[in-house]
Amino acid sequence: MEAHRQMEDQAAAFLARRDGDDWTEANQVELEQWLAGSIARRVAFLRLEAAWDEARRLKALSAGLPSGVVPPAGEWRHSPFFDPESAASPRVEAVAPAVSTHSSSAKGNVRDATRVRPLAFAATVLLALGVGAYFISTPRGDRYSTPIGGIASVPLSDGSNITLNTATQVRVELTPHERDIRLDAGEAFFEVAHDPARPFVVQVGNTRIIAVGTKFSVRREGDDVRVVVTEGKVRVESQSRRGGGLGVTSKSEGDADAMPDATRDGPPGAVFLTPGSVASASDDGIVIENEALAEVEDDLTWRQGYFTFHDTSLADAVAEFNRYNKHQIVIEDPAVAAIRISGTFRALNYEAFVRVLDDGFAIHSRSSEDTTTLRK
Amino acid sequence: MDESLDTWFKREILVHEASLVRYLLRTWPNREEVYDLRQDAYVRVYEAAAKSRPQSPKSFLFATARNLMADHTRRRRIVVIDAVGDLDALNVLVDELSPESRTSAFEDLRRLADAFDQLPPKCRETVWMRRVDDLPQREVATRLGISQKTVEKHVMKGMKLLAAALFRSEGSGRAETTEHEKQRKEQSRGSP
Repeated sequence: MEAHRQMEDQAAAFLARRDGDDWTEANQVELEQWLAGSIARRVAFLRLEAAWDEARRLKALSAGLPSGVVPPAGEWRHSPFFDPESAASPRVEAVAPAVSTHSSSAKGNVRDATRVRPLAFAATVLLALGVGAYFISTPRGDRYSTPIGGIASVPLSDGSNITLNTATQVRVELTPHERDIRLDAGEAFFEVAHDPARPFVVQVGNTRIIAVGTKFSVRREGDDVRVVVTEGKVRVESQSRRGGGLGVTSKSEGDADAMPDATRDGPPGAVFLTPGSVASASDDGIVIENEALAEVEDDLTWRQGYFTFHDTSLADAVAEFNRYNKHQIVIEDPAVAAIRISGTFRALNYEAFVRVLDDGFAIHSRSSEDTTTLRK
Repeated sequence: MDESLDTWFKREILVHEASLVRYLLRTWPNREEVYDLRQDAYVRVYEAAAKSRPQSPKSFLFATARNLMADHTRRRRIVVIDAVGDLDALNVLVDELSPESRTSAFEDLRRLADAFDQLPPKCRETVWMRRVDDLPQREVATRLGISQKTVEKHVMKGMKLLAAALFRSEGSGRAETTEHEKQRKEQSRGSP
């Protein structure tokens, strides 16, 4: 019964030689003759060939590494995922410190839980932006923006730092009394230098987020605003167009006896958020959820150029990819949209994502230059 | 070479290797023979599929493996109690492990990454340079200061180890099925 193992060795020898630089027509003939010898040879060959093809997928994890450099075992998975070739990453610096990609719980995607409106909206609106991040200075402050797929780190003169996510527009005006930021579109992560004399105010539509020294992210989808705090404390104020009487709902997913981290305070319609708090503000009010910090940080892995899904519907995952790529993915089949996936993906590598769907879930894809459609 | 049959075989059959091996290990008393049983099952499935592709490839693969074990059992005139018991449970097992319930494709990627990290250092470097950087073997040889023949050996070893690790049965699925197995046995004991 040694035969199978011998065949495996022979198959490996053929494949390794074919993988080399001196594979000739004669070698090919030799291989085909060998394969024709028995089905057992063929299946041994196919099996190794499949594994060797599969090894190509390591490419998905090689981002940011120069050619010819082999990452040390284990370490490479923590490397930042910036794609240096992408024209769409304008001022790529070592952005924020690496966050944990491990989630302490698998309760479901934070965004999933709080997002009220579909994301596809954001993607279509922002497609209009051109390629190449730009910076414009005007008397009324500086403007920064990123194209679809771009990430930019913007250090401010007060020592704060803003990380702009894909398709994001931010205005910055630093005065002696206030640090005035406007998030006109997209998503940004703020690391605020401590300065009690000059509050750091992020205005997003009707919502104001006020910080002294802290770290938080803000995402805008039309009039909906989502604030995630990872460090320190921020105040969120929302001015409803209907005026006054803004509802604040708090739902805690954690232990029932734990005090909610976010508390009502100050003017009506204002709440304080502490690390792990996720606030969603819309004209209907502010909804606050308290999540494990690790989960919240999974939500912010875009700063490293990738996103992390936990039991996320394919519809939502695709919407995320569409936010980052001009190439749009369209799901044609509701059954496909409902599939739930987990994992970490490079934001710009939608091709790898589609391939993974194909391989892992037998979802068929059809690609044209600017769209990929998915169906069972 | 029937290209489409080969592609079909990789996509529909080889992907189930982890479950297949898990099933064989649980059912067949002699671990050393599992490798050969697996390859024999592949041969039978490939031969059958050359004539006509089975409707449900996974069930067909498992049924083939079961028949193979039954043949061996008959031929050797040995009765493997556990094997007989497990053979009856086959349908449950196959349903339970439908492709949709596979963890996530990211799991596959992580498994690949782990398998890759387990390779011996030079072999690992060779695999990376060939598969990720697409450097020709000649260039890999120069960079590693080894002969092309040695690069070829590393490639051989790399693909064999990766295949073994990628298709290896491991992870949470095992605990679940083992638990399921226990329950099933208890039930069958309770109702004669």
